[in-house]
This record gives sequence, C-alpha cells and structure tokens, in this order.
Amino acid sequence: MFSQYFGHYLLNRSLLTHEELTKALDIEKSVHVKLGVIAVDKGLLTSAQVEEVHEKQKQVDKRFGEIAVELGYLTVAQVEELISHQKQSHLYLAQALVDLNLMNMEQFSAALHDYKKAYSLSDDQFENIRNGDVETLIDHILIHQDAEIKDKYSAYLSLFAKNMVRFIDNQIYLEVVDEKAIEQGQWVVYQKIAGDAPLFTAFNLPEDVLLHVASVYAEEDITQVDELAKDAVSEFLNLHNGIYLVNMSNWGTELTMSPQQIAPAAHISGDFLPVQVETTKGTFQLLLTTDVQSVTI
Amino acid sequence: MENNLVALVCDDSILIRKKFHTILTQCGCKTIFEAENGVQAVEQAIAQKPDVIFLDIVMPDKDGIEALKEIKVTLPEVKIIMASSAGTSNLLKEALKNGAYDFLQKPITLEKVVSLLEKILKEAK
Repeated sequence: MFSQYFGHYLLNRSLLTHEELTKALDIEKSVHVKLGVIAVDKGLLTSAQVEEVHEKQKQVDKRFGEIAVELGYLTVAQVEELISHQKQSHLYLAQALVDLNLMNMEQFSAALHDYKKAYSLSDDQFENIRNGDVETLIDHILIHQDAEIKDKYSAYLSLFAKNMVRFIDNQIYLEVVDEKAIEQGQWVVYQKIAGDAPLFTAFNLPEDVLLHVASVYAEEDITQVDELAKDAVSEFLNLHNGIYLVNMSNWGTELTMSPQQIAPAAHISGDFLPVQVETTKGTFQLLLTTDVQSVTI
Repeated sequence: MENNLVALVCDDSILIRKKFHTILTQCGCKTIFEAENGVQAVEQAIAQKPDVIFLDIVMPDKDGIEALKEIKVTLPEVKIIMASSAGTSNLLKEALKNGAYDFLQKPITLEKVVSLLEKILKEAK
C-alpha cells in the first residue's frame, strides 16, 4: 500500500502526472528490483557508482554485486543484505519509475526524504510504513484529524484497509476528505453497529465501482447491478463489520450489528468522517459516524 | 467425501447460500435445502428434518440465535453450526448455551466445511 501513498504524494507535488503514476503502478508488479536501486535507497551507493557498475556489466559477464565488491564499493555481506531487501514493496515503485525513465534513483530518494519530513515521520514510523504496517499508515492518514477522531476510527479504518487488501484490491488508497465532499453515489450499502461504541457504516458507490467490488468478492464477472451484485457488496461490508465486532470483543467491548441494507441513488447525510477509497477500478466513499442519530437516508 | 447428510443452509445473502451450495456439493452432500431468514429456517428445518444446518446469526425477520432455540425444541438431535462473520465471545457463549454444535467463522471455505462435516460423520459412526 505504501506505493499508492507515496505515488499520490508525488502526484500532489507535481513530480508525476496522473498518467505517469498509473503507468508506474501498473507495471510495478512485473518489475524486477535491481540491486543498484536498493543500494541507493539504503545509502550504500551513489547513483554515479551504480552507473559505473552498470557500465562495467556491459563489458564483463558478471553480476552487479560481484562488480561492486571488486570495485570496493560494497562488501560481500552488504550485497547479501541488499539481496534480502529485494522484495520490499516501495522499491517496486522506484524500479518502475526508473524503468519508465520518469525519475532517477537520486530523485526518488530525495522525494522519499521530503515525504518523511512533510509528514513528520520518525525513522521507525517511516520504516514501518515502508514495510507495509497498516496501523502506522492509518495513523498517518488521520494525521490532520484531532485525537478524538483518531481514537474513534483508527481501529475500524486499519481493519478496513486490511480487509480491502485481503478481499478486494491490493492497490487501494484511503484519504479522509472534507465533509462537504460527500458525493451522491448511485448506491448506498449500510449497516449499523450498536453497543458501547455505536457506529454507522456505509459505502457510497457509483455503479461501476459497485460492480468491481461485487465481481471480486463474488469471484465471478458481474456486469449488471442485479441481486447478486448488490448482495456481494453488502456481504463484504457485513463480513468486514463482523470481523470488527470480533476484534472489539477481544478487546473487551461487546457490540452487535443489524442486517446490512442497500438503497439505490440514496441521498445520505450525517455527521460523517468521509473516507475516499480509491481502487484500481474507481473510487467510492466509506462513511463513518459514531453519532448514529445524525444519519438520514 | 461421500456422505448421505441432508443439509439446510440459512443465510440472508444469496452469495453465501450459493457458496455453501457449491462447497457442500463438493463435499458429497446430495440434498441441500435453503432458507433466507430465521423464519424460513425454522419452517424448513421442521419440514425437511436435515442432519446438519448452517445458520447465519445476523438476519432480518428472525435472527439465527432465535431460530436456533426454536429448532432445537422440535429437533434436539440436529447438528446446528452457526456461520457468521461476527463470532464475538458473547454470541459464541449464547449459541453454545442454546445447543449449537459448532461455530464457523466467515469467510466460509471448503477446508472449514470439510473439517466440520468430518467431525459430524466421525461422531455418527
């Protein structure tokens, strides 16, 4: 998920266009992260040194690591460490950007450094986010919210992010948007949670995204908003909320939930925390409020 | 896994009923009945007298715990497996107190259903 967040940061800073980012995220999964990219990311080599090793590689049939050791730039132990880092997710984006000639490693590293500074992330937090720690990432998404909001919603949002990745789409991007930015979706799927920590939960979706979520969750191609499509999306919300109830129960808070419901072209209002959920096939909104009484549909 | 178990699946989700049907067929069950709420579950259970019932908890009309209580009065021997995503400790305790045989935490998978049916078949021997 880090790639999506960092990618959006690059987009907001105008370091990439939307098209370029989409292209990089598309090929990200198929790239092979090269040792040179990791070495620069780790600060073990400069871009110039990597270039020099690449030039040598054109002349002799040797691996990157072997040449770097021969040149005295890396030790054997360092090469082994770099190989062990080859599967780090944020580096796939770096490699994709380098392969597409959209950025060089030095620019990527500088942007990573700026990102960390912009969000006041400690080394540990940054490392956790880079390694895919969802809780730290959700805290980071809620950075501009007050402590009360964080307290109310962070457990729900962390689980939601994990369940989206587990069941629907592993390239999601969540962002808390302005209350005024609540769009009128074509469908609203909702479920109420009651007990000591009541919560109203809803997905506000356009039709194409509803079909995407339904198709992935039902594991079949659904092209029309029929009973199965509506049921699949509702069942995903129900499954996610059920797991949330289990987690809360394990932490000592017992909750219950009503059956999930779906309404077409509903205008929904309430004192929501609106969360924009970008998937690979479009965007929908997750609407949450602990003030269940404020909701009208 | 050949078996002669008659199964009843009760869930308000078409998708879940469909998944159960596919999985139970793969497990060798030949007779599978369906219900989409607690009221229908009680009616179908009494009419079809299944060996095993997979019963959702959060449902409209009548929830799974209420249906469990009513079915157990008429059919005390039937094996009722509560199938829900909301397996909180309170619900588990209540289900077991009212005679549920076991609990299946959603999402449902072939492996989870096979292991439950094997347990039932082993006990029946």
